Order: sequence, then structure tokens, then C-alpha cells
Amino acid sequence: MAYELLNSKVVAVDVTGQRPVLSRRGAMLGYSGRVAFAPVHGQGTGVGGMVGAALASESVPMMASTGDGKALFGHRGLHVTVLDLDGSAPLLVEADRLLVHDAALQTSVQFLGQGGLKAMVRGMATGQGLFTTQVNGVGQVALLSHGGAFPLQVQPGETVGVDPQAYVASKGQLSLDLSAKVGWREAVGRGSGEAFQIHVTGTGTVWVQASEQKVKA
Amino acid sequence: MKTWSASSLPDVDNVNPYCYSVRLAGSWFVQKGAMIAYYGDVRFDAVTAFASRQAWAAASFSSPLYVQDWVVAEGNGVVLLADRGFDVNSFDLAEGNLTVRATNLLGFAPTLELKQSIVPGFVTLLGTGTFLASSNGPVIFVEPPFRADPEALLGWADCPSPAVHHDAQWMMASLRGALQGAFGRASGEERQYDFTGAGTVLLQSSEVQREDPALLRLVTEQALQLTPQQSGVLGAELAARARQQQV
Amino acid sequence: MATLTADGRVLQVQLHGDAVRAVTGSMVAFTGAVQFKHAGAGGGDGMRAALKRRVAGESVSLMECSGSGTAYLAVEARQVAVVDLVGDTLSVESESLLAVSPGLTLDVKFAGMSGISSGQGLATTTVSGQGQVALMSEGPLIALEVAPGQPLVVDPDAFIASRGQLSTSFVSGVSWKSLVGEGSGEPFSIRFDGAGTVLVQPAER
Repeated sequence: MAYELLNSKVVAVDVTGQRPVLSRRGAMLGYSGRVAFAPVHGQGTGVGGMVGAALASESVPMMASTGDGKALFGHRGLHVTVLDLDGSAPLLVEADRLLVHDAALQTSVQFLGQGGLKAMVRGMATGQGLFTTQVNGVGQVALLSHGGAFPLQVQPGETVGVDPQAYVASKGQLSLDLSAKVGWREAVGRGSGEAFQIHVTGTGTVWVQASEQKVKA
Repeated sequence: MKTWSASSLPDVDNVNPYCYSVRLAGSWFVQKGAMIAYYGDVRFDAVTAFASRQAWAAASFSSPLYVQDWVVAEGNGVVLLADRGFDVNSFDLAEGNLTVRATNLLGFAPTLELKQSIVPGFVTLLGTGTFLASSNGPVIFVEPPFRADPEALLGWADCPSPAVHHDAQWMMASLRGALQGAFGRASGEERQYDFTGAGTVLLQSSEVQREDPALLRLVTEQALQLTPQQSGVLGAELAARARQQQV
Repeated sequence: MATLTADGRVLQVQLHGDAVRAVTGSMVAFTGAVQFKHAGAGGGDGMRAALKRRVAGESVSLMECSGSGTAYLAVEARQVAVVDLVGDTLSVESESLLAVSPGLTLDVKFAGMSGISSGQGLATTTVSGQGQVALMSEGPLIALEVAPGQPLVVDPDAFIASRGQLSTSFVSGVSWKSLVGEGSGEPFSIRFDGAGTVLVQPAER
């Protein structure tokens, strides 16, 4: 096991010459051994040949850990969930929820919705965009959530509704649709607070957190 | 849900991972605000007021910097202590010493002695007795050699005080990447506390540190050592920063 | 009949064609056919209730979850607990109420703690009848017994709920928080006398 949860909020990662990792900058809690850290910025640059692995998202600065040793990662007391990706389906996750992942995984930016809907998703529902990152390949990834992420299975013929703020990640053959029910009650601030919902259909898993709090810098 | 009563609460033990029960027959040092409930006949006094009546308290609590943030609980009863829903851990020292982040120390038996650590924001407990400290998530114990992010550091025992380590490769990469501008908002990875020797290092998940009221007092105190000219430079810098943050 | 089940930091609500009232915006996910709509404020509607709410500084905004399926409710990753009421009354610190099963009556408490402010105000909502109440707290709740001759003193910031034949009074001069003029307001704590149970959280608001 290269990624070991020391408790619900801290993950220990074995860094080796064959297995460098990328992590959120500022989230390394400590390390032993000969591990070197270097900031990674922008897409297509990066350090140590990890070209293309860096996230394009300017809002989440990343760094690379290389060498031989053990490093601990955690962020502001948020809960950590470790997922194994077998390459069969990509993981969709918001960039700021990525705590640490194998550098060998490929990340790319992905937007939900199109045109006006996209603008609404980005601007109104979440503030900074939904599932902006698609993670492909075989390897491990550790995600951040407020209070822990619980998985909900999605089966054909069944819809799972998720609050956009509580959405953490999803994996599988899934289709995600943003449903906006803006009525006059919402407009005057007397609504149920659930005007925006993501409707998930298909086959797979969606991870939800018990909170509507975003990851803070 | 189990219902506790004055008689069924533990004498000195966790009620759950986030709350600790102390049965009082005498006195305990308690951080202001750490108390959530109590049974019985218990009085709470400022450490300074208490020490004016009982001189031993001043000797046990030998940190003028932190004294304002603490009270003495005295009497007969059961006191429940907690902190922001964080894990609360008890530590038993036997002729030992342990240094802990001051804002995470919740209470200690008067048989222990508290002193300010040379590392700002930390206090050292010496002697024999029990103390309580909170942590964001369970405490992680590691052994030196280990380099810890200052924000994730909860404390250390038996090993020497840490040295500050700067990551050379990080500095080089930052320069190459023309990140000097971003360097101002340090992410932490370029600077760590380096622990060596035999002992134990205590870590927690990094967090937004709670405002430590003693830090302001410490800096103010140290600023007295500056020459008048240096004081002027510092004053101008702080004024400029305050203006910038207002915008 | 709708059932409320606490699962750590999430409340699972099983709906069978009926409706549950919950704090507005608390839905994090649902499966099946569940609708959410505004359901007024805790304490009922009408002029009298509105006036009481204003006096008590109360503002619990509720929504109705109805349909058939499972709704997952949560707020700020707070711990969830479900209390069963058997015709009695529970006094709840208003921001700690998450959901109530059908048939329970909500009211704003006037006397006792309401009105006196601990900075944020300690207004309570009373829930009475037969059914389930879901509460939220920072960390798991601790239930403390109050018996004759065995009063309990509680930090108002840690208070979540109480039930039983209890009378409350304020204890001042307890120097927990403000000792040398730091902070605002006179430091005080709540003393419970009588026979009943008080629920506290291992945190201060």
C-alpha cells in the first residue's frame, strides 16, 4: 500500500524513484527520508519530466514530491478519502479536492454543461466550477472532503440527486446533469435552498460530503 | 445514547474522543473556554487572582505571557473539558517534559510546571502529572529524524528543540519558475522544523491556527529590544501592511 | 411512516409518500422521487408566531421533504443524533435542529434562556409530541443527568438541548471566558435544577 491513512485526516505516502507524487501545495505535514519538493506550475511545464501532469487550474497550486521516503499529507483538518483507480473509468473531481495523487495519473480539465448552463454552473452554483478535473490512468488518489465522503451507488434506471456544493467526486459510466429549478420563491430568498441539483444517472459511484462547504485555500 | 451523571462520569478519562472528564478534589489549571459543563461546587478564578492567595500557583504557572488565558478550577465536583470538537488526549508525565502548542493545551494538574518554550507559540510542561491537549484528528506520533510543517506540529517530547530547515531544491525551483512574486505567500513546504536525536514528535492535520493572543504580547515584548530607528522601520512596515489589508 | 436514521454526520430520511420538515438547504443527496419546498419558519406561521420569533431572535427556516425515497441531510459536517419523543417536550438550541418527523409541534420558547444573549443569542425551539427529532452538534452529543440536589452548570455555547422537569437560572461570576474585560458581555453560564437530561456538545459555538 503506497497510500496509508494514518487517521481520517492524514495520509502517509511512500515516495520512491519509480513513484513520484503530485500534491496540493501547502498540504505536506512532514516527511522522513530523502524526499525533495518542488513547485509545479502551469500545464506542460513541471519538474522532473512530469510534463502534462500538472493541473491547469491556477487556483490550486501543486507541487511534486520526488526521491525516496515517506511524506504525510493533510489539509486544514479536512477528511481524506483514498481511491484506487484501475483505469477502467475516469474519476471526475473538483481540482481543489485533490490532496495528493500519483504523478503517473493524467489530469485534464473538464467542464460540465455547455453554453449558458456552463456559465450558470460556474458562476452561480459553485463559484468556481464543477468537476473541473478528469483523472485518468492507473494509480492512487487522495481526496479532501469536509467531514468525510460517503459513496452512493448509481444503477441504471435510478437517479441520484446531489447538492452541487456537497458533490465530491464520481467514477463510472455516468451522466451528470445540472437541474436548475429557479422559481420566484428562490428569487426572493424563501426557497428550499435546493434549487440546484445534480442528477446522476448510469452505472457507477458518486461521493458526497456531509456539508456544503468548499475547500478553502 | 448513554446518560452520564455526576457519579458515573469518569474520574480522569475521556467521556468520548472529544470530551474529557476531571473529578476535582482540589485545583486544576484550565484554559479559558475549554470548560463545557460541570457538576458540584467548583469555583473558577483567574490564575493571577488565585496566585495572590496561593503562592504555589505562580511557581507552577511560570509564564506571564499565557497567564491571562488561563483560570484555576478549584473545589469538589466533576468538570468536562472540550475544544471545538477536536480530539482531546491526556498525557501522563513522570519526571518528564513535553512541549505542546499553547492553543492546544486545555488543562493540567498543578503538580506539573508550565514554562514558555523557546519556540514561539509553544509551552513546555515539566514534572509528574496529567495534562490535556486537543488535536485536529488523532495525534500522529513519529520519531526523528523527521521534518515537520510548522503548522502541523502539535508538540514534541524528549528530543531537542527543532532547527529550521529551508528546502534548497524548492528555493531553486521557485527561482527558475519565476515564482518570486508568489513566494511571499509561502506555502510551507520550503520551510520545516527539523527534529533530530532521540524522542517523539507529535503531529496533527494542518489547520488554520486559532488566533494565539499571547503571540501579540510576545512580539510586543520583543520589539522593546529594537533601537528607536529599528522601531520606526517596523512601525512603517506594519502601517503599510495594515493599509494594504484594508483595501 | 417516515423514519429518521443518524449515520455519523449524515441523517438518512426514508420517505414513504409522507413529508418531513428539515432545515432549509440541508439536503446533500437523495435517491428516488423526493421534492423539496419551503415550509415556513419553525414555530408555525401567523402573526403571533412571527412576533414571538422576532422577540426571541429566532430564525429557523424550514423546508418540507416529501415523496418516496431516501434523502440525505447534513449541515457543515456536524454530527447527527436522533432523539425519540414520547409525548414530551425537547428544548433545542435553535441552530442545532436538523429535522423533525411528521406530527411534531414546533414552537419558539419565550421564557428562560431566550432573550439573553451569549453573543449569538441562545434562543430555543421547543419540539413536542410523538416522533423523532434530529439534532446536530460539533462532535458527538454528551447526555448529562440532572437530579434533585444534583444541579448541572453548562457553558451556553456548548448547550444543545434539554428535556424533563428543569428550571434554568444564570450563574454569573464564573470567569470562564472574559476575565479582564476581554470579549464582550458579562460571562455567564446556565444552571439546570430539577430532574431531566441536558445534551451538550464537545465544543463551544
